[in-house]
Amino acid sequence: MSARTRRRSRAVVLGAGLSMTMVLSACAGGGESAAGDTEGDGVVEVWAHSGQAAEAEALEALVEQYNGSQEDVSVELTLIPEADYTSTVQATAAEDLPDVMEMDAPTMASFVYDRKLVPLDGVVAQETLDNRIEGVRESGTYQDQTYAVGMFDVGLGLWGNQQLLDAAGVDAPATADEAWTAEEFEQNLQKLAEASPSGNAIDLGEANGFAAEWGTFTTSPILWSNGGTLIRDGAAEGVLNSAENVEAMEEWASWKEHTDPNTSGTAFPDGDVALTWTGNWMYPTFSEALGEDLVLMPLPDLGNGTKAGHGSWQWGVTPAAGGDQAAAGAFLDFLHSDESIARMVEANAAVPGTTSALEGSELYGAGGPLELFADNLASACGSENVTQECIAVARPITPGYPTVTSSYGGALAAIWGGADPQEELDRAARAIDADFEDNNGYQDE
Amino acid sequence: MTTTPGLAAPPSPVPAPAGPGGAAPRRGLRRDNLAGPLMAGPAVLLLVLFVAVPFFAAVGFSFYNVRLGDPRDPAFMGLTQYARIFTDPDVSGRFLSALLHNLVFAAVVVPVQTALALALAMLVQKSVPGIGIFRSVFFLPVVFPIALVALIWRLILARGDDGLLNSLLAFFSGGNFGAQDWLGSELTALASVIVLSIWQGVGFQMVILLAALQQVPADLYEAARLDRANGWQRFVHVTLPGINTTLVFVALYTMILSLRVFDQIYVLARSGGGLNEDATRTVMYEAVTSAFDENNIGRASAISVVFFVIVVVLSLIQRRATRERED
Repeated sequence: MSARTRRRSRAVVLGAGLSMTMVLSACAGGGESAAGDTEGDGVVEVWAHSGQAAEAEALEALVEQYNGSQEDVSVELTLIPEADYTSTVQATAAEDLPDVMEMDAPTMASFVYDRKLVPLDGVVAQETLDNRIEGVRESGTYQDQTYAVGMFDVGLGLWGNQQLLDAAGVDAPATADEAWTAEEFEQNLQKLAEASPSGNAIDLGEANGFAAEWGTFTTSPILWSNGGTLIRDGAAEGVLNSAENVEAMEEWASWKEHTDPNTSGTAFPDGDVALTWTGNWMYPTFSEALGEDLVLMPLPDLGNGTKAGHGSWQWGVTPAAGGDQAAAGAFLDFLHSDESIARMVEANAAVPGTTSALEGSELYGAGGPLELFADNLASACGSENVTQECIAVARPITPGYPTVTSSYGGALAAIWGGADPQEELDRAARAIDADFEDNNGYQDE
Repeated sequence: MTTTPGLAAPPSPVPAPAGPGGAAPRRGLRRDNLAGPLMAGPAVLLLVLFVAVPFFAAVGFSFYNVRLGDPRDPAFMGLTQYARIFTDPDVSGRFLSALLHNLVFAAVVVPVQTALALALAMLVQKSVPGIGIFRSVFFLPVVFPIALVALIWRLILARGDDGLLNSLLAFFSGGNFGAQDWLGSELTALASVIVLSIWQGVGFQMVILLAALQQVPADLYEAARLDRANGWQRFVHVTLPGINTTLVFVALYTMILSLRVFDQIYVLARSGGGLNEDATRTVMYEAVTSAFDENNIGRASAISVVFFVIVVVLSLIQRRATRERED
C-alpha cells in the first residue's frame, strides 16, 4: 500500500469525519435513540479488515458456510483494507456502523469511549466467553465489561538460526525461566554478530518503522521486563519517563550496533543474521526457509522476567445492531467454534483464541513447535500491573491509546536515531498527559 | 507532496499577444457579464466547496477540542491551540522546527533544483537521434510513486556496510570512510530527503524549461554567434533573458511545493526507512500526524491555519519580487 493512496483515502475519511462533526454539532442534543430499538431484519452486516490474503479468504469461506447452514440470518461481509480500517471506523458515526465489526485490540477502548461497541455479556453465548484463552479475555475487557472476543491472539518472540547459534557457541533458552539476561543478551549479540554472514546479529524489525504501531508493540516488552510500563491511571508523567524506562531504552538503543537494518526484508530467513525479534505470524515463512534450524526463544529478561506483547484482531457488536443483536451474537458464536478457529489459524498461523481449539492445535498444543507462545498467553496481565510472573502483557487499554502510541513511537524513532532517552520520554509523557487533560481524562461522562 | 507539481498547468512560456493598444476590446460587454460568471460558476462552486468550506471549517475546529468519531460535543478551547503552537515548549518546539525544516528545504531545493533542471534541459535540448530516450529517463522519477522512490533510496542510503552509498564510499576511500547512517543521523537526514526530492522532482522542471528553451528564436543565437559571443555569453545574454518568465515560474512553483513537503518524509519515517523524524518533520507532516495518529483535529486545524497565513505572506512577498523582475 503506497502512502499516497493511503493519504488519499485518509483525506476521504477526514472529509467524512468533518461533515459528520458538522452534522453532529447541528443536531446536538438530538439523543441517540435511532439505532437502539429497531426490529431485527435478519441481515447481519459485518466489517472486517483485509490483511493477508489467506486470512481474508478464510473469513469469506466461514461467512459462506454460516449463511449456508441456516435460513434465519444472512451475514453480509465488507472487507476494508487494513491500513484504513481503524480510521474508517473512527470516522463513521455509531449509527452508520455495521452490526458486527472487527477491531485491532488496542483500539477497543477508544471505540467503547466513542460509544461504538456494546457489552457482549448476554449477546454471545456464555460458553464462548468461558472458552477464551487468558490473552483474549484480557484484551477484550475494558472497565470490567467484555466488549470484544477474538478468534486468535499473537505473541512476540525471539527466533534463532540453530546453525549460526552453534557456530557462535551460544545456547538457546527454551523456556521463559531460561531467558537470557540483559547482560547475556548483549554478550550473545556480540558473539553472534561475528558468526553471522552479514556481520550483524539480529533483526529487530527496524524495517517496519519504530515510529508507527509496530514500535510500541515490539519495544514495550523491554519496558515491562525492566520494571516499567507505558502509562498508569491515565498518567504518563513519572511512568513513561521513569528511571526504569530510560534504562530500558538505553539498553535497547545499545543493541543498534549489532542490528541489521534488514533492507532486503529477508535477513533472517536468508541466514544473514542469527536472530530476529518478531511475532508468531512469521512462522510459516521462517520454518519454510530454515526448517529444522528454526528455534523459538523467549525475549530477554531485563530483571522483571521475560515479557511479550500480545493483542490482535477481535470482534465486537455495535449499537447499530439493535434488534439484530441476537443474530450478531450467534454469528460470533459460530466464528468462535473450534472448527471455525481451526480454519482461521490454519490460514494465519496465529495462536487459537479458545482453550479447546488451543489444546487441539498442532503448532501451539503441548509439544508443538510454538508452544512457548501459548504458554506466554496463559499468563497474561494488563500493562498497569505487570508482575514478575506474567509474560504476555497487553498494550494499555485506554481511549487515549492513539496519543500514547503516537507519542511513544515518536520518542522511539528519535532514540533509535541517537537522541537522549530521558529527554524524549519526558516529552512524550508531557504530550500524553496534555491530551488526557484536554479530554477530561477520557472519563466516560 | 513531492516537489513534482500535481495538477496545475504551467503558463505558456511566451506571453499571449495583447490586443491592439494593449487592452482587450470592450465590445460585447453585456453578454460577457452573464457568460463570464456562468462559465466560471462550476469552478467557483467547486472551489468554494472543496477549498473555502474546509478552510473555514478548519478555522472553526481550531477553537475546539475535536476528536474524530467522538459522539460528545467538542469542548470549546478558545485560542488554546494557537497559544500552544507558539508558547508551549513541546508543541511550539516541534512546530517551529518543522517550519525551519520547510524553510531550509525550500532554500536549498529552489535554487539547486531550478539550476539542475536548467542544466538538464540544455543537455537534452539537442535534437540528436534517440534524445527522446534521455528525456524520458530524466523524467521517469517524476512518475514513480513515492513508495517506490522511498524503496530505491532506502537501499541507496541504508546504514551499515550493505548500503549502496556506504559500500561505494568505502570502495573509493579504500575503506577509510566509515559507514554512515544517512537517514537516521540528525546531521544528514534532512540533506538525504533533499537529495531524494530533487532527484524525483527535477525532471518535471526540466520539461517546462525545455519547452521554454525551444521557444527562444534561433536567429538570436545566430546573431550572437556572428557577434562572436562565446558559449557563456550566449547563455547569459540570449538564453537566460529568453526563458526568464518560465524560470521565475519554475522557481515560484518549486517554492510552493517545498512548503508542502510531506510524502517522502511520511513514507521514510513510518514504513521503515529509519528516517530521523525529529530532524526532518515538516509542517504538513506535523498537521497530518496530529490529526490522524493522535486524533487531535483541533490542533491539526490550528497548525494548518497558522501555516496558511505564513504561506500567504511568503507568496505575497514572492509575487511582489517577481513582478518587479518582470517589469
